Amino acid sequence: MTQPLEVRAVRIRYPDRDAWRPNGVDFSVRPGEVVLVLGPSGCGKSTLALALGGLLPRDVPADLEGAVLLSGRDSSAASIGELGSSVATVFQDPDAHVVTATVFDEVAFGPENLLVPADEVLERTERALRTVGLWERRDDNPDVLSGGGRQRLAIASALALHTPLLVLDEPTANLDPAGIEEVYAALAEVVASGQRSVVLVEHNLDAALEIVDRVVVLDELGRLVLDGPARETLRDNVDRLAALGVWLPVSALAALRLRSAGVRMPDLPLTPAELATSLDALPELPPPPVAATPAVPAEPVVTIDRLTLRRGRAAVLHDVSLSIARGSVTALVGVNGAGKTSLLQAIAGVLRPPRGTVSTHGHDPARADVRVLARDVGFVFQNPEHQFVRATVAEELAHGPLLQGVPADEVVRRVDGMLVRFGLVDHRDVHPMLLSGGQKRRLSVGTALISRPPVLALDEPTFGQDRERAEEILDLLDEVNREGTTIVLATHDLQLVADHASHVAVLHAGRLSAFGPAGEVLSGGALEAAGLRRPVLARAMGALSGHPEWRSIARLADLPGGAG
Amino acid sequence: MRPRVAFNPLATIAAVVPAVVVLILARDLATPISFLALGALALAVTARLGRRAVLALTVALPLFVVVSGATFAVWTDPARAAPGAELLRLGDYALTTGMLGSGFATALRLAALLVLALLLAATSSGADLVRASVQYLRVPYRIGYTALASFRFVPRSAHELELIRQAHRVRGMAGGRGPVAGIRRWAGYVVPLLAGAIRHAERVALAMDARAFGAHPTRTERHSVPFRARDAAIVVLFWTATVVVVLARRS
Repeated sequence: MTQPLEVRAVRIRYPDRDAWRPNGVDFSVRPGEVVLVLGPSGCGKSTLALALGGLLPRDVPADLEGAVLLSGRDSSAASIGELGSSVATVFQDPDAHVVTATVFDEVAFGPENLLVPADEVLERTERALRTVGLWERRDDNPDVLSGGGRQRLAIASALALHTPLLVLDEPTANLDPAGIEEVYAALAEVVASGQRSVVLVEHNLDAALEIVDRVVVLDELGRLVLDGPARETLRDNVDRLAALGVWLPVSALAALRLRSAGVRMPDLPLTPAELATSLDALPELPPPPVAATPAVPAEPVVTIDRLTLRRGRAAVLHDVSLSIARGSVTALVGVNGAGKTSLLQAIAGVLRPPRGTVSTHGHDPARADVRVLARDVGFVFQNPEHQFVRATVAEELAHGPLLQGVPADEVVRRVDGMLVRFGLVDHRDVHPMLLSGGQKRRLSVGTALISRPPVLALDEPTFGQDRERAEEILDLLDEVNREGTTIVLATHDLQLVADHASHVAVLHAGRLSAFGPAGEVLSGGALEAAGLRRPVLARAMGALSGHPEWRSIARLADLPGGAG
Repeated sequence: MRPRVAFNPLATIAAVVPAVVVLILARDLATPISFLALGALALAVTARLGRRAVLALTVALPLFVVVSGATFAVWTDPARAAPGAELLRLGDYALTTGMLGSGFATALRLAALLVLALLLAATSSGADLVRASVQYLRVPYRIGYTALASFRFVPRSAHELELIRQAHRVRGMAGGRGPVAGIRRWAGYVVPLLAGAIRHAERVALAMDARAFGAHPTRTERHSVPFRARDAAIVVLFWTATVVVVLARRS
C-alpha cells in the first residue's frame, strides 16, 4: 500500500547557497506514525519540513533532487488541490496562519478551498475545533486567543483538511510553558485516533517524546545518520547525539549530568515524569550542591521604589519595588499583559516613570535626557529593524556616541571595536536592513553597548526566533554579562530563564508577585499563581515523592556533576 | 454597532450611491439635511447602536456641523457666495448670510456622507461584502479573499508603526520641528514598516498556499449572501427618497 510519505534521496539547495542541506535523506512514514526529525543547527530541518509540506520548491524556490512522495504522488508534479488533500503544514508563527475574522471561519477556510460540500465543511470544522478544545471559542476573533490558543487553531485548521500527513515545524518555539502544554495536549488528542501520520521538527523534546514513535536524525552536513524507534534510539545513542549538537530532552541532560556525578541511572529518563520516577527509585542521593551565594551582596544598579505606571487611563504597573544587583541577569516574566515590557521600559526611560520611583545607575529616567539615558542603560527592542536610524552599519553604531558629543576620534575607535567584536567588519558600509537576521540582532546589541552603559535592557530578545537563532542571542548575552554588564530582559521563555538568568521577577496583573534568585523563584509556586508553568526540570523535581532537599532544584546548573 | 437587520452589502451600496452623487453635486441646505435625516433614521432602524454611537450621532455630529460650518463660512470667497445681508464686519472683512449658508451647506454635506458611510459599515461585514462580490459581481475569489486577508494588516501595521516611532524616539531621532524634519522622520519609519509588512505577507501567502488556497476555480461558500425582498426594498426606498428630494428642490 502507499505510505503517507516517502522521502527518496532528497537533497535541497537554496539558490544563493553552495551547500546541500539536507543532503541525502531517505525515509518513509507509515499510516498513524509520529516521526520526530532531529539534527544540529543548520542541517536543514526546516527546509526539509517545507519540502515535506509540498511548499518547496513550488512556493519557496530551491533546487530539490530526489523525490518527496505524498500518498504515492510526487510532490513536484502534484496540483495545489492534490497537495492540499495529502499534507497539511503547521508553521512556527501562529499569526501567519490567520486569514479570516473568526475561529470557525478560519478552520473552514482550508476545506472550502478544496471544494468540500458545505455541510461536510461544518462537520469537519466542528470536529477539528473540538479535538483542540476550541469549539467553545468558535465565534471569537483569532486575535484574542493566547499564543497557545492560536497555535491550536493552526492545528485545527490543518486537521480540517483531512490529510493523511501533518507536518509541524517548531510549533511551540514562540510559546510559554502553559502554551506548550496546551499544544501537546491537543496533539496527543490528534494522534490518539491513529489515523494521521505526523512529522515533527521540535526542540522541546520533553513534551514531544510523549507522542513520538520514531526519530530520524540528520548530521551537521544534512545526511541521515539514525532512524529508529524514538526512545531506544535516543537512549542508545545519547553520547553520539550530544556530540552532534542535537537537542536532547532536559530530563536526559539532567540524568547525564547526574551520572557523571556518580548517581546510578541505568535507564536514561527522557521525560520529567520518568526522571522523577527514576530518582525516587534510588534509596539515596548525594546532597545537592549548595548554591554559591556571594558573601557580599552586590550593590544595586537599578532601584525601583513603589512604581505605579499609567498608560492612558489604565494603570499597567501597581506599586512595584525591587532592586537589581550589578552584574546580574534579571528576567522579568509574566503572561501577556502582566506588565513585564512596561517595567522594562520604565527602567530604560522608554516610558517615562513618575519622578523619584526609578533610579538607573544613579539617574532618574524621568528627568534624564534621551542622550544621557543611553549612557546609563542600553535598550534593545524586540525587532532590531525598528531601531535602525542610519544608512550604514558604521553610521548606525556612531549615531549614539555622536549625539552624546563623544569626540570624533574616540567615536571612530569605538565603532571599529564594535565592528570587530560583533563580526561586522565586512559589513561596515552595508545598509543595516540588508544584514542577515543574526547580524541585525548583533548590530542592535552593538548600538546599545557602544555608549558603554552598565545596564542592558532587552525586550523579548528571542521572540519569533527558532531555537538555533535564540541560542545564538543567548550566547551573546552571556558573553556581555561576563564582561560586567548587568542584563535585564522581559521574556516569555522560561527555559531561557532557567538556563541563563540569575534572578527572576514574576509579574502578575501589573504587580510584582515574586522576586529573587532564579532557582528559588522557579521552584516556588509564584509561576503557577501568575498563570505560567514551571520549566521542565523544576516540574520533574517538584514531582519527587522522596528526597525533599532535591525538590527545589530548577536548573541544570544546580545539579551535582557536569563541568562545575 | 451591530446590524439589527442584515442587508446584502451590495444592496446597501446600490441604495446609497445615487444619494451620494446628489449630495456631492448639491449646493443648498435642504438636500443634505434631508439625507442626514434619512440616513440617521435608516441607521436607527437597521443597526443596534451602542451608547457611544448614539452619543456620536446626537452630540458629536451636530457639534461637528456647527464648528466646521462656521469655519467654512469664514473661508468662503464672498464673491462666489450667494448675496445676503451683512452679519458682521471687521474692517474690510464682512460675513454675510450667503457665506454662512454656503459654509453650512458644505458641513452638512460632509455630515450626511458620513452618516451614509456609517450605514454601510453598520449593516454588513467586510467578509459578506467579499462573498457578495464574488457571488453577484463575479469578482475572482482569489482577489476577494486576498483583500480580506489584507484587512488584517491594518491594525498590525498601526501597532508596528507605534513600536518603530517609540524606538526612533529612544534613539534620539525625535528632534527637529517643521515639515522638513517631519518628512525626514517619517521616511525613517517607512523602510522598517514595509520590510516587516512584506515579510509577514510572504508568511501569510505561504500559509494560505499550504491550505490549498487557489486549488480550484471556485470554492465552497457555506452561506451564500442572499438577495432578499428587504434588499430590494431598501434600494427602492432609498432611490425613491432621493428622487423626491431632488424633485422637491426643483419645484
